[in-house]
Amino acid sequence: MSVALPLVVIALSVVLLMKLRWRRQLLAPVFVIAILVAVWQLAVTFVMSETNPTPGQTFSALASIFTSDQLWKHSAASLFRVTWGFVLATALAVPLGLFVGWNTRGFEALNPIIQAMRPISPIAWIPFAILWFGIGDRAGIFLILYASFFPITVGTMAAVRNISRVHQRSAENFGLSGLELFRRVVLPAALPQIITSLRIALGVAWLVIVAAEMVGMDSGLGYLINDARNMGRRYDLVAATMILIGLIGVVLDFLVRKLEGFDEVKWGYVNR
Amino acid sequence: MTSWVTEHTETTLSFDERKFTDFATVKEALIAQRVDAVFMLAPMAMQLRADGVPVKVVYLGHRDGTALVVDKHAAIEDFGDLRDKRIAIPNRFANQAILMRRMMRDWEMAPDSIQLLEVPPPEHPAALESGSIDGFIVGEPFAALAELNGTGRVLYQTKDIWPNFISCVLVVREEWIDEEPQAVQELVTGIARSGMWLESGLEQRMEAAEIAAENFYYQPKELLEYVLSKPPDRVKYSELGPRRDDFEEIMELALEFGILSRRIEFEEYVDDRFVPDADQAGWDLEHLPGTRHGAVL
Repeated sequence: MSVALPLVVIALSVVLLMKLRWRRQLLAPVFVIAILVAVWQLAVTFVMSETNPTPGQTFSALASIFTSDQLWKHSAASLFRVTWGFVLATALAVPLGLFVGWNTRGFEALNPIIQAMRPISPIAWIPFAILWFGIGDRAGIFLILYASFFPITVGTMAAVRNISRVHQRSAENFGLSGLELFRRVVLPAALPQIITSLRIALGVAWLVIVAAEMVGMDSGLGYLINDARNMGRRYDLVAATMILIGLIGVVLDFLVRKLEGFDEVKWGYVNR
Repeated sequence: MTSWVTEHTETTLSFDERKFTDFATVKEALIAQRVDAVFMLAPMAMQLRADGVPVKVVYLGHRDGTALVVDKHAAIEDFGDLRDKRIAIPNRFANQAILMRRMMRDWEMAPDSIQLLEVPPPEHPAALESGSIDGFIVGEPFAALAELNGTGRVLYQTKDIWPNFISCVLVVREEWIDEEPQAVQELVTGIARSGMWLESGLEQRMEAAEIAAENFYYQPKELLEYVLSKPPDRVKYSELGPRRDDFEEIMELALEFGILSRRIEFEEYVDDRFVPDADQAGWDLEHLPGTRHGAVL
């Protein structure tokens, strides 16, 4: 492809972006994407590399994934693992975060360990994951669980510790204590921040899919990337799968954001 | 070894070696021209050439040195007993994967009668220990490791089922051949001489294990000694020139099993001009002062 077409696309997109009225703001990302793709094309043309895939090659690889049965198979496999890892992480991390956030002694005892384990990449855990869970789904789910566990724990912990003194004291004045206080004040007040941490954690869970699918899998989008890397020179396939992972990530994020709209969640925002 | 040897002999060049932990990265480093020469899985090198990347196979690093290992306590006596079992392979594009398919064909088993799972080589012993696979086929030292750990037992050495098995090949950038053929020759000759030295006796192999353990691989010396001596022909360092028959057999099988995207001629991906000189090089121990007498680096 020549240099002219990408340049025209860039110029046109910039002009249209500047002229957009507020009603058409939804179109803005489309123009930004057009600019990025054009820059990508120019960059590949400029470096004259046959190894870097062009947008055209990447989109045709993407099309080939879409038209074969691979799209469903690999996306479903990855979503299956991420769902399990994320759900298990939530089930473990929210109670832990609530406890550690509420109980000062618990916080002092556990926080250093949590902070020390948090930065360890799931990739480093691969040998142990295999040793404990074998190869296949369970090891992958463990790695996703590990990665998403800490954002939820830390987020929940911070949420509880951030509850305003006013809320807490007035609840106590109304005679609430123990579980009742927890259920009617602490949890609702902390919920928005917990939801935010879930959102971050789901992003992380999806982020580690490529690492999680290095442990003897034969399906999944992460596997597809690892496999394409091993194939001669199929970086178009690598890039196409990256785009697919990004698109599904957007959908996942959209779904979790829906949670923030529930009434039960909303009242926690009042004091902001 | 070659890197160590060039640093300690009167050759004009020295080679810096770098260890990678997976083949995709090796390949990418080569494509990106960050390295001039790599050891790479043979079928992967063919596919790279088939995709138009200007590289050539110029030599081998070793022959054999791969073993099919099974759970020590499993009732597996021969290849037929592997039916319906889960066996780890290092890579879908490895010659080990081709070997498994070749064996299945020879034993008249259906291509899916053994479940082959891609697992990174360093994880093979752990996967066997965890019980999630029944065996694995991989290059050393991981087969020896499972043996020494007490978890695995060698069912076959490649020398028993595909003699002179080729796992990894020395691949160099064509540009490097054109620009510095002398350097390529020195590298190839260096590898040939290292091989000759290793083949000159058990004593030399033990010294090599020590040098490699100390300087390069961060693997225990005992493990490398085991790999190089139990039995002594577990890994071979002779006949390292790429031979047409060997490669065409691999190519045909790779094509048949869908690992290679197109037929590719021997001349397209092999450049064996460096072999005659390398094979003629003698191994003069005097040029390696001290090693025989146990001197340190």
